[in-house]
Amino acid sequence: MIVMLVLAACTGDGGGSPGAGGSPGAGGEGELGGTISILAVYADAEQESFMAMIQPWLDQTGVEVEYTATRDINAQLTTQIAGGNPPDIAGLPGPGAMQQFARDGDLVPLDDVIDMDTYSTQYDQGWITAGTVDDQLVGIFTKVSVKGLIFYNPEQFAAGGYEVPEDFDGLTALVDEMAASGTPPWGIGLESGAASGWPATDWIEDFVLRQSGPDVYDQWVAGELPWSSDEIRSAFEAFGAWATDEAMVAGGPNQVINTAFGNGGDCLFADPAECYLHHQASFITGFFEDNFPDVAVAGETYDFFPMPGIEFNGVTTAGDLFGMFNDTPQARSLMQYLTTPEAQRIWVERGGAISPSKEVPADAYPDETSQRFAEIILSAETTRFDASDLMPAAMNEAFWGAVLDYVQDPDSLDGILDELDTVQESAYGG
Amino acid sequence: MTVPIGAPADAEVDAPARPVAIAGRRPWTGRLGLHLTLAIISIVWLLPTISLLISSFRPEAATNTTGWWTAFTLPFEFTVQNYLDVLSRNNMGTSFLNSLLITIPATVIPIMVAAFAAFAFSWMNFPGRNVLFVLVVGLLVIPLQATLIPVLQFSVDLGIVGSFPAVWLAHTGFGLPFGIFLLRNFFGSMPREMFESAFIDGASPTTAFFRLAMPLAVPAIASLVIFQFMWVWNDLLVALVLVGGFPQVAPMPVTIANLVDSLGRNWHLLTSAAFISMLLPLFVFFALQRYFVRGILGGSVKG
Repeated sequence: MIVMLVLAACTGDGGGSPGAGGSPGAGGEGELGGTISILAVYADAEQESFMAMIQPWLDQTGVEVEYTATRDINAQLTTQIAGGNPPDIAGLPGPGAMQQFARDGDLVPLDDVIDMDTYSTQYDQGWITAGTVDDQLVGIFTKVSVKGLIFYNPEQFAAGGYEVPEDFDGLTALVDEMAASGTPPWGIGLESGAASGWPATDWIEDFVLRQSGPDVYDQWVAGELPWSSDEIRSAFEAFGAWATDEAMVAGGPNQVINTAFGNGGDCLFADPAECYLHHQASFITGFFEDNFPDVAVAGETYDFFPMPGIEFNGVTTAGDLFGMFNDTPQARSLMQYLTTPEAQRIWVERGGAISPSKEVPADAYPDETSQRFAEIILSAETTRFDASDLMPAAMNEAFWGAVLDYVQDPDSLDGILDELDTVQESAYGG
Repeated sequence: MTVPIGAPADAEVDAPARPVAIAGRRPWTGRLGLHLTLAIISIVWLLPTISLLISSFRPEAATNTTGWWTAFTLPFEFTVQNYLDVLSRNNMGTSFLNSLLITIPATVIPIMVAAFAAFAFSWMNFPGRNVLFVLVVGLLVIPLQATLIPVLQFSVDLGIVGSFPAVWLAHTGFGLPFGIFLLRNFFGSMPREMFESAFIDGASPTTAFFRLAMPLAVPAIASLVIFQFMWVWNDLLVALVLVGGFPQVAPMPVTIANLVDSLGRNWHLLTSAAFISMLLPLFVFFALQRYFVRGILGGSVKG
């Protein structure tokens, strides 16, 4: 109860003008009542932000919410669906799993729930496509993150006399210069429990998009381009040149595999520097500030630049999808509300979220760092969703395992790619 | 009475103590190997728990960036903040209550049913007794996860999904095979003559069960209580699937799991949460432990 009051207070003074225009719940249902069950991955502070985001809708409609958080959303959703007890609305594990749920007929199409004209003016086509299966919209994005950012410590850069590179050649030269000085340039950590390896898949995706362009990237995602093709092989090799070389990565490849992804950038804050560069998505700043509470300060001891383009420019992204499993008036109304800029602005202002909506202005972001994240997404000429998340689950997991094998034994790349080709043949079939 | 120095007086009275006295006369080196082995095994066994305990008193940044063994190097950094954080998080109190509301019925019901069934399997004659018993014991090998979806469908059909009776029933079902197996062997090892004389004196099976079997089976029942209580108390999966995780019904493991956010941050809080949630099971264990070893051997040696 106290928590709810606190949440209400937070949204009251922080949330723009939630109660003013009556825009939440576009249908204008007024008192809807009833309950809605929601299943998502948000726990703790994220859960508070999510609840703050839907609070104006709850206040307006009088709906009671039953919110369940789980980190293993895929297993939980699958079990609940198979058991005949799906949540009304759920966060989806990713576009790959979303396709599966949609083709099995579990997800309710949103074409007549959400006003598509408004939706397509507020959202970039990339987000709409990523939420569409077989020409029907089934998933909406509430919050997204930018991938392929390179973080560095400006103080250490100044001490070493280094400067932020202008282009990819500049980055290569910078990395070589750092390695020659005796300090490995990169800090990389791939451990993440059952999902270990995913940070390396981000690396490879960034290389595929920048080396071979969005068309090749799309074919690769769709399973039409074999892993043993030159394009994918050269992305693996570009990553391996840095991640498997003792001189290039802090602690050598062994430490790359044994370090948790949240600690991969810790070496940026060592004194003297143990590494200078860390490649990760926008959310890593939270880890910096948790791990080094008095040391990590945005703009002073950590800053970032987007990974430069090589042959092509592009930005890789990820995001949190929501889908509707039960067609109830409450679920319809909440899905409509979640796409509104008013709703997304609430989480943006609380920090830790980037809105995919073009209607959420840059000045809604609480600090300069998140403003710059948002600008990267909104101004990018080519954005592509995280490839491994778009692939079928079996392919995605094989990809995670393959990059770990590769870092351990770079010479076995041929065998690893052949193995991935075999998985590709079966994973897309069903 | 004067107490003699050393143990010879006892050794003379107490026959089993004699080997100890003999060993004592030999140089202690003979037992050094044994003690050393025991000490090493104990340390290896306790190491994870000790590291968890140490980590639970370390600040977040220290836990995130260095190993627990570095806690003993300068500067010493210890804090109770993790415990305060866990206790002040959403609904930890409600969750504790929910856990009790789930665990107590989910311990009492299966053990009662198991005791009745085990007595029938041991001392009542009915056709198909052995086939039924083999069937029940066979259920021991079925993994819980494999039955989760049918059990959920059943709960949805009964309309109890999302409420505590759903978990009570599920845990009763999951706990019964082992309970029946353990108790049947324990009841079965009781002397036949005892029940025969009771029956000759006109005792009904009900009387024999409540007046003879149950009082004698206290050690076995106590150890079953410990098993079942700990299993249900620590259960995350069944509770999450059958009652869901929203704050009004979530038990402790669900709330504790939700301390960690979607990116795996805040895991340092799990250390202190583990010790907090351990308190009640530890209390139950120590309260019943004098029965525990006797009970776990129950029925294993049939006299």
